[in-house]
Amino acid sequence: MSALLFKGAGFTYPGAPSPALRDCVLHADAGSITWLTGALGAGTSTALLLAAGLAPRHTGGERTGTVLTLGVDPALPSSGAALGGRVALVLPSPATQLSGIAETVFQEVAFAPANLGWPRARITARVSDALTALAISHLANREPGTLSGGEMQRAVIASMLVLEPDLWLLDEPTSALDTAGRALVHALLRREAVRGAAVVVASEDTDGLHQVADRLVVFADGCPVLDGPPQEVLRGERVWEAGAASTAIAGLARAAGNAAPRPLTVDEGVARWAR
Amino acid sequence: MSPDPGPHVGRFHPFTPLVLTLCVAVLAVAAPGPKTAAALYTTTVVAVFLGGVGRAALRALIPLAPLWFFLFLLHGVLGDGDQVVILGLSLSREGLAAAVTQACRLGAIATASLTLYASFSPARFVDAVADRGWSFSTAYLVVATLLALPRFRARALAIIDAQRSRGLRLRGSPLNRVRAIGPVTFPLLLGALAEVDERGYALETRCASGVVHRTPLDPPLDRVGDRAIRWLAGAGAVAVLLWRVFG
Repeated sequence: MSALLFKGAGFTYPGAPSPALRDCVLHADAGSITWLTGALGAGTSTALLLAAGLAPRHTGGERTGTVLTLGVDPALPSSGAALGGRVALVLPSPATQLSGIAETVFQEVAFAPANLGWPRARITARVSDALTALAISHLANREPGTLSGGEMQRAVIASMLVLEPDLWLLDEPTSALDTAGRALVHALLRREAVRGAAVVVASEDTDGLHQVADRLVVFADGCPVLDGPPQEVLRGERVWEAGAASTAIAGLARAAGNAAPRPLTVDEGVARWAR
Repeated sequence: MSPDPGPHVGRFHPFTPLVLTLCVAVLAVAAPGPKTAAALYTTTVVAVFLGGVGRAALRALIPLAPLWFFLFLLHGVLGDGDQVVILGLSLSREGLAAAVTQACRLGAIATASLTLYASFSPARFVDAVADRGWSFSTAYLVVATLLALPRFRARALAIIDAQRSRGLRLRGSPLNRVRAIGPVTFPLLLGALAEVDERGYALETRCASGVVHRTPLDPPLDRVGDRAIRWLAGAGAVAVLLWRVFG
């Protein structure tokens, strides 16, 4: 069974003239990283909100079709009990995802497990592990509001990792991170997939994610139009036609008039152009 | 992993300063005349300095000073009744008494409230509420309300800086200042609304809704002294209130 399943799913925000998501068919399996990308407004962020149940429960609006998150319809008011702590959602702006009541990063990361009523010893152990995994143990006693954007983003991801979720929904999770931070998060997502979690990432971090993701789904105008292995999809022309982008090297090759399949990395580019 | 509780008042159980502030407000309202009101204000200020948050008492003077001036003007200078000459000014004796009473009442309430605000630890308060098994959503509402002001202020300063860097003139003529209201206010309000949405999403996914029993991470000690202070202050406030109403 897929951890996430969309069957003809659509969604229209309140007052919006047209749907943000239409007739969307999508699945994400446990143990794999599914990467969603597309042009601005293509619907990838909306798909994550729908999967988390925040749309339409919090956003308002109208959903059509079927959405099953870990086998449960997340739009149902009763889904909170079934999905609580099992679905991790990371949004692009780390500052707005802080709890607002924690005085230290440790308390921030412990916020969700404490809400779930975990025993203190378990919380302490899991928080320490999560801080170590994100390489922010040294920030445990810092006030969350004083962290840099990158540190804050790591703390937010740690505050989800602590739950050991079955499904990760990440929207531009590396937007505030430097190269080392991005590599660390990519490695973390791979470890989570190996652990058995389903990982769904909506991102334009093409250069980083194409080496990590198992599947790439390209959205255009509110629905998936391409679906396949990233190494395959990104080399072609259709990803560009869909309004999305491939890697910087593939973009360079395209601008230089090279036909598909195009190189994706510097090494591949050198190998191609050195011939 | 708890932060330093800070000044002496921060070492109390979180409910103690809250109860004391409420009691000060009740006693201030019930204070019958200038002497009792002045005694209450003096006691509050001394207690605040002893609690290590004297700065809160000084900060309270900023909003209090203009209020005190208008009370003096309204009751002392423009008041009726017996007149008394002080420093060459002819002032109403009864008006002065009323002005002192009101000024001390306001002073006590403002000083106690700002002290509570200055010493408030959101995490300790939430832990204290969780330790009692009380409603997390109510505790969060209290904390979020108290923390809204500094967050709003920080956002306003960031917007002012951003707009000034784009050439907005905030100083100078009154017309300049009026023109600046829109470019500062609208982004502030729209940003706040967007933040409320995103914070709501984040809290939902972090299991903050429907919390059955939250684990207190570091429950604050509720010592005998804390409990005694709360009971004595509460009983005193109720007694004074009853005396004023029925006595």
